[in-house]
Amino acid sequence: MLKNYLKIALRNLWKSKGFSAINIIGLAIGLATCLLIMLFVLDELSYDRYNKKADRIYRVDGDIKFGGNHFILAVAPDPMGATLKKDYPQVEQYVRFRGQGGLLLKKGNENVQEDKVIYADSTLFDVFTLPMLDGDPQTALQAPNSLVITATTALKYFNTTQAVGRTMLVNNRDNYKITAVIKDIPAQSHFNFDFFVSMATLEESRRNNWVSNNFNTYVVLKEGSDPKKLEAQFDALIDKYVGPAVKQIMSIDMAEFKKAGNYEKQYLTPLTSIHLHSDKTGELAPNSNIQYVYIFSAIAFFILLIACVNFMNLSTARSANRAREVGVRKVLGSLKANLVKQFLTESILISCMALVLALGLTFIMLPTFNHLAAKEIKLDLLSNPWLLPALLLMVLITGLLAGSYPAFYLSSFKPIQVIKGKLAAGFKTSWLRSGLVVFQFAISIILIIATIVIYKQLNFIQSHKTGFNREQVLVIHSTSPLGSKAKTFREEVVKISGVENATMTGYLPTNGWRNDNPVFADPTLDQKKAVSMQTWDVDEQYISTLGMELVTGRNFSKEFLTDSSAIIINEAAAKMYGFTEPIGKNLYYLRDINTRSASVLHVIGIVKDFNFTSFRQQVTPLALLMGENAGNTAIRINSKNIPHLVTQIENLYNKMAPGEPFDYTFMDEDFNNLYRTEQRMGVIAISFSALAILIACLGLFGLAAYAAEQRTKEIGIRKVLGATVSNITAMLSKDFLKLVVVAAVIAFPLAWWFMHSWLQDFAYRTNISWWVFIMAGVVAAFIAVFTVSFQTIRAALMNPVKSLRNE
Amino acid sequence: MIKIRNLEKIYRTEEVETVALNKISIDVKEGEFVAIMGPSGCGKSTLLNILGLLDDPDNGSFLFNNIEVANFNERKRADLRKHNIGFVFQSFNLIDELTVFENVELPLIYTGVKSGDRKKRVEEVLDKMQIMHRRNHYPQQLSGGQQQRVAVARAVVNNPKLILADEPTGNLDSSNGNEVMTLLTDLNEQGTTIIMVTHSEHDARYSHRIIRMLDGQTVLENIMV
Repeated sequence: MLKNYLKIALRNLWKSKGFSAINIIGLAIGLATCLLIMLFVLDELSYDRYNKKADRIYRVDGDIKFGGNHFILAVAPDPMGATLKKDYPQVEQYVRFRGQGGLLLKKGNENVQEDKVIYADSTLFDVFTLPMLDGDPQTALQAPNSLVITATTALKYFNTTQAVGRTMLVNNRDNYKITAVIKDIPAQSHFNFDFFVSMATLEESRRNNWVSNNFNTYVVLKEGSDPKKLEAQFDALIDKYVGPAVKQIMSIDMAEFKKAGNYEKQYLTPLTSIHLHSDKTGELAPNSNIQYVYIFSAIAFFILLIACVNFMNLSTARSANRAREVGVRKVLGSLKANLVKQFLTESILISCMALVLALGLTFIMLPTFNHLAAKEIKLDLLSNPWLLPALLLMVLITGLLAGSYPAFYLSSFKPIQVIKGKLAAGFKTSWLRSGLVVFQFAISIILIIATIVIYKQLNFIQSHKTGFNREQVLVIHSTSPLGSKAKTFREEVVKISGVENATMTGYLPTNGWRNDNPVFADPTLDQKKAVSMQTWDVDEQYISTLGMELVTGRNFSKEFLTDSSAIIINEAAAKMYGFTEPIGKNLYYLRDINTRSASVLHVIGIVKDFNFTSFRQQVTPLALLMGENAGNTAIRINSKNIPHLVTQIENLYNKMAPGEPFDYTFMDEDFNNLYRTEQRMGVIAISFSALAILIACLGLFGLAAYAAEQRTKEIGIRKVLGATVSNITAMLSKDFLKLVVVAAVIAFPLAWWFMHSWLQDFAYRTNISWWVFIMAGVVAAFIAVFTVSFQTIRAALMNPVKSLRNE
Repeated sequence: MIKIRNLEKIYRTEEVETVALNKISIDVKEGEFVAIMGPSGCGKSTLLNILGLLDDPDNGSFLFNNIEVANFNERKRADLRKHNIGFVFQSFNLIDELTVFENVELPLIYTGVKSGDRKKRVEEVLDKMQIMHRRNHYPQQLSGGQQQRVAVARAVVNNPKLILADEPTGNLDSSNGNEVMTLLTDLNEQGTTIIMVTHSEHDARYSHRIIRMLDGQTVLENIMV
């Protein structure tokens, strides 16, 4: 019996090759997309799980409100780890990371800047599972100036992974000893470093400073310990240790500190939730977002659903053609159950074919997808023991789901009805089919709107006035090796033709987060009148080079000797102080915590707010102080021949700092890097939307063909009576257009709600204009009519005699 | 073999009620060849469908081999049908996706005959119908006469006691039509009961008895000599 089913299924497929192809390809694209997203989601969910103790590792995070500012931190004070281990028996071990920027290493005669560098406690290997190729995990990070490197790094510098005992010249000054070589950090890790420097090297790690949060601190809890119980004791810990420090700095005790509306809380973030749930200040690297996992899972689900709907739709549409077969089978003694089995066998067979094709498609699409998503996902069905069974189950369910309607619907007919051709199940008559088309198009329209809004927001970020001009700004990083010559370098650079201006500064709006410090409005250093803000040392060329705008007051100037104690604040800071006439006001900046000595600064200007963090956040208070910091040199250029200009600047640099790496970027690139995740996700979302729409179109194409076929006689009669080709085309297209209109009515409010929620994540965001909806509707209608027109025009052009003879 | 009494079948739409069979009573004995004639819409096809257990009556009694089948459910009807009744249609109703051999084999599959036996049976029947050389062809590759021969082969492959033929020559030219009628006559002579609906007086002459119908009732019976 099964053989007979398979035989007839295959022959049926072959007989209507076109529809079979649409059916199989549509489902295959759906399955492939779903599989890709599944792989992506699995990859996202697998972060940090390579650690054997992953379920017991927590990061000690902070939530601090102070001086009108609110900090959510991925870092803790330096003594936190050791104190937790000492005071709480459930803490088995701890390890701290501290980032201090990159290292300048010597490779032969060449200086190489390495950025994937972190300081780590010697307990690193007790906490994280980082298999060692050479060296002893117990001692590797104990002595100062010890260096643990990854296999790739060892091969790069020493051509071997057996590099223990070798030394490296660091920053042209110190010799660090390689004490261990570890395997490369897995891609699914929330940190990715090539160099681990022993924490003992860093004096800061022993300061015992409870009010400075700089260390990413991880603890391993003993088996069976409850993290909630440990967290519950953190308030007491803060009172005990942070309290005295607050008292010393601000001369108030913790009770007063809290009474003024401030607080400090520490809590534990599970290691495995960092990658998807943590976007805090002081992260080791930008993390992903669980939102994307949800969004993509939803897209995968809907794409599969659209593909299934297609499958069902085409199968039911074809059911009229199969009706006679069903009738004959029934007359010959087939039971309903036999027929149900036959149709289900058929649909499962088709979905299995689609799966095979889908695996091929996934294999082909994976490199592109990896490139888009910046991932290294592999399609390895064997390494994931449940992936293949899951896929087969998915196919089985798809097949059953898709085949069930035609199976039960067709087999329920009375044989005589179908044999006599009473079952002219026209396109118009099937509510279910229309409903499914509406559903498909509603999803497509939602995806189109989502795509437009995502692009609009990305475009908004690109074109939004950030308060500074990032175009044509060349940033030379680490001009610090120039030492005292940095200033001369700036002066020489400005002389080059094509250079408009240059500024020497460690602080740029595109460089992420730095420390906040309280700046007091009151000489008594009353912290109620303090505003916590970033303070940037800049020179007098800074504002003009970066194209910032002064709202009121003036810029720093060498002509005013008093400008060494001048301060320029941004609008956000002025607002927070409540200044109406800010110019000339005095502010007090704490220079020394211990002596509580403060320098007096007088406000000389207000700079228009400019974005120096992500668009996801509002502009926070910021102050510019006159100072010299040779961290970077930003150069405003105005030249058509940029490569030539860069070469000239590089030559000058090499002349003044021979052997030092000349490392530069363009500020607009740095700016775009801040939004790389959004851009990446935008491109992925658009690709998937396009796929979803493609699948929906394939289905519509097939349905239109059937609708036309069903109405062949009607079309023939109408043509005999004088209808033109355009009359017929319009008549057939109208039915589909109506469905698109219904879909749009359903999709618009849903899409608005989804995208409105998404935009809430951005402090600076575009609006969802009415034209977005109109455009999505028109695009959907156009796609529908375009798809359908192939079939309708063909039907309309058919010779009416031929179509009437068919009857 | 067949005994129907006061059989009624009424088709209802929202506004119109059509009486297809109006308290009709008929007997058919085993081994008989009966032709049913009458104008279009007189209820002959409805009667044939009920006799073939493809449709159920609204009222009345239907004894098949002395068993009341008027109230049989779908499963029981399918079971009775596949073991006892063969059908021949005007439009052949062969499955386009199956070959001649496979079409004829189908009833045997549904009655659960083993593969080896099936092959033997189908070949015998195809041989008898002189269509063996076409066994691997698809219906579209055959002439109308050949297709109807395949349909007859399919109808008899299970050795049914009764063959119901609904205008079996309606789509055929006269020479092919005569061939099919000869086939049916041969089958009848070998003991198969045949009930045939036809418009053709010529075909009806092959039968033993003609039942003439009008408006859902029998109006006349001719016994052929």
